[in-house]
Amino acid sequence: MSESRPYLRAQPRHWWAHSPYRAYTIRELSGVALALYAAILLAGLASLARGPAAFETYRQFLASPLSLLIHLLLLAAAVWHMWTWFQILPKTMPKLVWRGRLIRQDVMSLTATVVAVVCSLLLLSLFILVGAYL
Amino acid sequence: MSTPNDSPLPKRTIAPLFWLLFGAGGMLAALFGPALILATGVMIPFGWGLPQRFDSYANVLALARNPLGKLVLLAVIALLFWHAAERLFLTLKDMRAAPVWLLRWLTYGVAAVLTVVTLALLLAIGF
Amino acid sequence: MPEMTAPKTIELRVLRYCPSRDSAPAFGSFQVPYTDDMSVLQALQQIKATLDGSLAFRWSCRMAVCGSCGMMINGEPRLACNTFLRDLAPDAVTIEPLQNFPIERDLVVTVGDFVKKIESIYPYVMPKAPKTIEQGTYLQTPAEMEAYASFADCINCMLCYAACPQFGANPDFIGPGAMALLQRYSSDSRDGGQQARLDRIRGEDGVWSCTAVGICSEVCPKQVDPANAVNQNKSKSALDFFLSRLRKETVS
Repeated sequence: MSESRPYLRAQPRHWWAHSPYRAYTIRELSGVALALYAAILLAGLASLARGPAAFETYRQFLASPLSLLIHLLLLAAAVWHMWTWFQILPKTMPKLVWRGRLIRQDVMSLTATVVAVVCSLLLLSLFILVGAYL
Repeated sequence: MSTPNDSPLPKRTIAPLFWLLFGAGGMLAALFGPALILATGVMIPFGWGLPQRFDSYANVLALARNPLGKLVLLAVIALLFWHAAERLFLTLKDMRAAPVWLLRWLTYGVAAVLTVVTLALLLAIGF
Repeated sequence: MPEMTAPKTIELRVLRYCPSRDSAPAFGSFQVPYTDDMSVLQALQQIKATLDGSLAFRWSCRMAVCGSCGMMINGEPRLACNTFLRDLAPDAVTIEPLQNFPIERDLVVTVGDFVKKIESIYPYVMPKAPKTIEQGTYLQTPAEMEAYASFADCINCMLCYAACPQFGANPDFIGPGAMALLQRYSSDSRDGGQQARLDRIRGEDGVWSCTAVGICSEVCPKQVDPANAVNQNKSKSALDFFLSRLRKETVS
């Protein structure tokens, strides 16, 4: 009557595809999309090393509708990465106390996201300035 | 109550190294990713808001030959690969796609190879 | 004279398992008369009192402070005393023991490993500057207490472990609850045991099994935020990873 035979249920094989874990899996895959952008940059570097003719082929690809579509999808992935990155960021920080009160995590996330948007805008502005004057 | 002093200390894992690379790449992508993708993939190739001459052979070559330019290109490309490698490794591990040792080679291994390739290309382009 | 209406009933599907009788768990079904103020725990107690006395489940305080009645309710880790039938009715309620833990019997899971994990992280203040009784009490400002207050609220209910898929994949992962307790002590201004605790969680089964899924903090009934406890220790553990090499070099 007092036999002990603990029964461990197996973890579902596709747990990562179901709620509430699906959002986490999508978040992680947005990070992987960034590798695709890095690969496009690397391809550019490779064609640059091969010479003007190869680089011209690369340029023409960049000016194609397919490339535009890919980059818009990558842009969406990058924005999703940025948003979810700063949602997690407060979790990696110790509790911060300011004037006796805890700094709220949603405040940290929003502030960091705004800073990131400003950084991207500043970089774009820098490019635009360089383009206008050089 | 079993005292913790009885048990040996856990073996250190090399995971922190990959986590830091993941963090650096992730922060870079979060701060500048959208701007870079917009600039290099949308604005410059079509001349929308930025001049098309930015990706002329001569200009890009000048950027890639500049020591600072090399550093920036290496940092951006390599860190994005290392960031993706860590995330892909963990996601494939979640999915139990393959034995863990194989997943390490397919993710970290490939990122390492691509980092070396990037460095080699940057050096081949010359100064 | 008030009209006598038939009491409304709700179906509870409960995962049953008796090791001396069953080879594997299987669902049993109960029709339970209920009122709008009843919790799932009260429904289980009603079953045990009137329908099936063999139903086994843990409970104690009935008010979400003891952490005993954690179980899966409609697939989510919840405290049974804190989950109300009125929010789940009229659909059938599916009740299973906490995910990721071995089932001892019915809704009772094995907790021994969790207790060992808590014991392993020095769950007590190791004073930075020990004081004798004559020297008086340790003083702490409210701001210093804020730094660890949420982690001190943990009631060891293990809902976070049920929610954590990395614990599901690796039962040796130290897990969110133990890390919350670790951080309760390490961020206590009186404590000097940070390095000792870091040494315990530096391995693959320590912080480094965590992939920042974050659901542990979402299911916590006490807003402890164990995800914060685990992930802030990744930064500390990573720093320690490099500093320890420097320490070894200066020693030798």
